[in-house]
Amino acid sequence: MEMDSNTDCSMPISNFGNLTRPDGSTIYSQGKSTVIAGVYGPIDVKPQKMLIDRGSVETFFRPKSGLPGVGDRLYETIIRNICETALVSTLYPRSGIQVVIQEMQSGGELISCSVNAACLALLDSGIDMKFLIAAATCCLDQEGYLIVDPTELQQEKAKATFVFVFESSEGRIVASHTTGTFKLEQYEQALDLCKKGSAKIFEYYRKVINGKYNKK
Amino acid sequence: MVVNVGDVVLPGECLPEPRSNKGVVILGPGLRRSEDDSKGLTVSRAGVLCHKAPNMYWVEGHAKRYVPCKGDLVVGVVAKKSGDQFKIDIGSAEHASLSAFSFEGATKKQKPDLQVGDVVYAKLVTAHREMEPELVCVNKYFKAANLGPLSNQGFLLNLDSRLIVRLLDVQHPLLAVLAKTCAYEIAIGMNGKVFVMGRTSKDTMHVAEALLAAQHHDNVTT
Repeated sequence: MEMDSNTDCSMPISNFGNLTRPDGSTIYSQGKSTVIAGVYGPIDVKPQKMLIDRGSVETFFRPKSGLPGVGDRLYETIIRNICETALVSTLYPRSGIQVVIQEMQSGGELISCSVNAACLALLDSGIDMKFLIAAATCCLDQEGYLIVDPTELQQEKAKATFVFVFESSEGRIVASHTTGTFKLEQYEQALDLCKKGSAKIFEYYRKVINGKYNKK
Repeated sequence: MVVNVGDVVLPGECLPEPRSNKGVVILGPGLRRSEDDSKGLTVSRAGVLCHKAPNMYWVEGHAKRYVPCKGDLVVGVVAKKSGDQFKIDIGSAEHASLSAFSFEGATKKQKPDLQVGDVVYAKLVTAHREMEPELVCVNKYFKAANLGPLSNQGFLLNLDSRLIVRLLDVQHPLLAVLAKTCAYEIAIGMNGKVFVMGRTSKDTMHVAEALLAAQHHDNVTT
């Protein structure tokens, strides 16, 4: 992964296969946030977590330092729900799929960054998916303006934050998470902006996968 | 998004009109039937879409994890021993089972002496995602036919699945070239595990190093 001063900061950067132990891994950076995602699967799973009709999806979110807290558990749940939607888990009954996300640097839109990293790691692992997923974050500042891809400071000061996840085949919404207070029109505007943002991410996915398979 | 044969494809893209033979299309890994029949096939893995006339389609991607497939020859490590059953680690989600009676000449009194950690070369007789994979070390005439426990003098490697496929191609020169410099035995498992044993440990390491290095070389051979 190379990053020089001329690199367009709004475009994500990623690299595959930095970790050798997981079945799929990626280091992904978007805006000022960076995460490493690793996917293990299909793997053996504890009997109490085993589902007989589909694979069980587990997510772990590791913060930069220390043990995962309550906020990280919330991230885990969000990412797990999204991954469950995207995966064809019925193809892997009685087994498990683990998605591990290690936060490297946090500078706003960390959930979006983690979801997109998880998607790339799943692509790298070769686990069957129904569609690709892309997340985008949008903020409503105190003056009522919407900010796409906010920084950490903007996110802290914001009146409301929106996270939307879209799928690639028909562009439907997979997940929507909001915090704070906002009007319905503002929600709809944010949705439109995030949809445009997600289109960029899908383009990016295509570019990296083309690069991965064409260099051979 | 609509794709064609030979394209790099991503999950969620569709192939609307696959060529069928009397209404039958054979799907390989990475493809599924769409929920909505008008869309034809849906891609479920990233890779290159391949087609073999008249009606076979698959996606050639790259996965590290081994998914058992019936009839595959695999190299596995004994993980557990319980009575007449061995549990073998073949790198898949679940350990495979191997009966102590499915070795050449094995009877209730005369069973193979396998310990945890030993390496075996075996064939998958059942591989279904709903069930535990099952291995045997005999062919259909109950003869060993090169299957069975492997010596504990050798070396076990984990190689990339793409290199495995290349090594199994009889045209591939690597094994023949190595054989000119040293004598060795090799058991190549479809699960990515490869057992190598040379006449001396120096020979063994020589071959192992060569195989590990070959992983980083391209498919192009001259």
